[in-house]
Amino acid sequence: MSLTASRSARSRTTLRNVAVAVLSLAMLVPLYIVVVNAFKPQQEILLSPLGFDPATATTQFLQDAWTNPNFPVVSGYAVTLFLVVACNVVAIGASIPTAYVIARTPTVLFRFLLMFFVAGMFIPAQIILVPAIFVLKALHLMGTLPGLVLFMSSTMIPFTLFIFTGYIRMLPRSLDEAAAIDGASQQRVLWRIVFPLMKPIVATAFILNALSAWNDFVSPQLILGPGSSFRTITTGVYAAVSSYTTNYEIVFPTLLLAVVPILLIFVVMQRHVMSGLSAGAVKG
Amino acid sequence: MARARTARVLGRRGALGRGLMTVPAALIYIGLMVVPVGYAVYYSFTEYNGIPSQTPEWVGLKNYTRIFTDPTGDMHSSLWVTGIIAVVGAFAVNAIALGLALLLRRTTPFTAFARAVMFYPHVLSALIVGFLWQAILGPQGAVNNLLTGSGRSALPFLSDPGWALATMIAVIVWAQLGVQLVLYLAGLQAVPADLQEAATLDGAGRVQVFQHVTWPALAPTVTVTIVTSVLSLLKVYEVVLGLTNGGPGDATQTWAYEILAVSFANNKVGLACAQAMLLIVVAGILSFTIIALRRRAEEGAEALS
Repeated sequence: MSLTASRSARSRTTLRNVAVAVLSLAMLVPLYIVVVNAFKPQQEILLSPLGFDPATATTQFLQDAWTNPNFPVVSGYAVTLFLVVACNVVAIGASIPTAYVIARTPTVLFRFLLMFFVAGMFIPAQIILVPAIFVLKALHLMGTLPGLVLFMSSTMIPFTLFIFTGYIRMLPRSLDEAAAIDGASQQRVLWRIVFPLMKPIVATAFILNALSAWNDFVSPQLILGPGSSFRTITTGVYAAVSSYTTNYEIVFPTLLLAVVPILLIFVVMQRHVMSGLSAGAVKG
Repeated sequence: MARARTARVLGRRGALGRGLMTVPAALIYIGLMVVPVGYAVYYSFTEYNGIPSQTPEWVGLKNYTRIFTDPTGDMHSSLWVTGIIAVVGAFAVNAIALGLALLLRRTTPFTAFARAVMFYPHVLSALIVGFLWQAILGPQGAVNNLLTGSGRSALPFLSDPGWALATMIAVIVWAQLGVQLVLYLAGLQAVPADLQEAATLDGAGRVQVFQHVTWPALAPTVTVTIVTSVLSLLKVYEVVLGLTNGGPGDATQTWAYEILAVSFANNKVGLACAQAMLLIVVAGILSFTIIALRRRAEEGAEALS
């Protein structure tokens, strides 16, 4: 009796593992197609999209993609990295003091202020971009990197502020009170005592904001403009690929150059990315 | 006593300092999100081509009437497309993610690997996901070349209106299921293990345990996953740009595509803003409705734990 039970449990586990393996392979097929076809000429891609023949494999098309003027790879990565860092510095830097004040001032006014910020989480960034362009124009920030950083940061502030406020509320008040009695100023209490304790939640916010900045296409495309000298990875890929979607000698190598670094970062950081996401959702 | 003193100390430095600390975030947020919403409301009642030297011309509700009556017959299809993507996509993504979460529940090196594999599309830009699948499923894409190469006829993944919409939903599900999977996995960890054990000991089958213990305990997670997936599906844009560019015809034009690539691209700023207002209002109402409707299920979850 118990023997059959354990045998059926074991066969169930095997079945489950097989199912998971098949599904995992299926998820990876598109990636495999990009990798092998980035090294093949058009004719071979069309004839055997899944095959890989080391004899005819060439890095020629990758080199062409690397030097494609539509997608300046190195500067594209530099601009994208700059956006990731700058938007996080602005969004996190601005959110910390505000979240601290909101979390430590339990009055109706500040609760209302939190709701006012949180409402922004329900406004899709790319939709509010159209009217935001007119604000940026009025500020003479249209077509500039500072304008882009400010807009992207503004879309990150609601969520960042929200998870920070929730986190600071969980930190014991006695910490700040003790420091305040010792005569520390509010700024000092915040940056010397509270901020160091916020490391985990700051890391969560950084990872989630970094992903959204890295992958944003609409904001850089519309704010910098298609003719801008600054290209991000996404606007560069769009410029390189959108008019040549059936020229696979361009499509696959360009996509490979665009996805390899972020996938490598993901492989190294996957635990943090995935736990950060669930931490963010639980707090949010 | 100490608390009263602190309150006094804090109070004295008080209101002004506290107010000042909210200024940077408030300035950026108000300047680039709240004021634009104000602009959108104003422009939505005007006809405006976006050129700074021109002044917006007040036309009252004309843009809104245009959206609801759709005299040129090109807008309502985008509403339908977006609605279908939101409903079918949210259902599919949640069902698949929950199923996978149950499969990958136990933490072993193998399931950790599988979770990462299910998640990786999320770190790619939606635009790149669109281009990638266009190269795989397009008329001359990898799959159709394999089909024709083996003597079968090609399939119209992206060239037939019905197929194209179904393909697009499938691609979006492929790209988004990892996020919901992570949320369900986190939710499953919060399911009280002793309750499940007790139910099993009482002779409950696997389905019964799921139905009476696991599923009710997941209620708060389900609220979060539904709201986040619906919100992200309502604004689908970049994947459209990469995969189909709205075609064939307007079969895969979403509402966000209508706003950005049709109205705004043709300098119809007033109309684009009215369309944007509609999306914001619908997204807000839907989120709050879902949260309100789910509250009862969540109260059930609290009763369980």
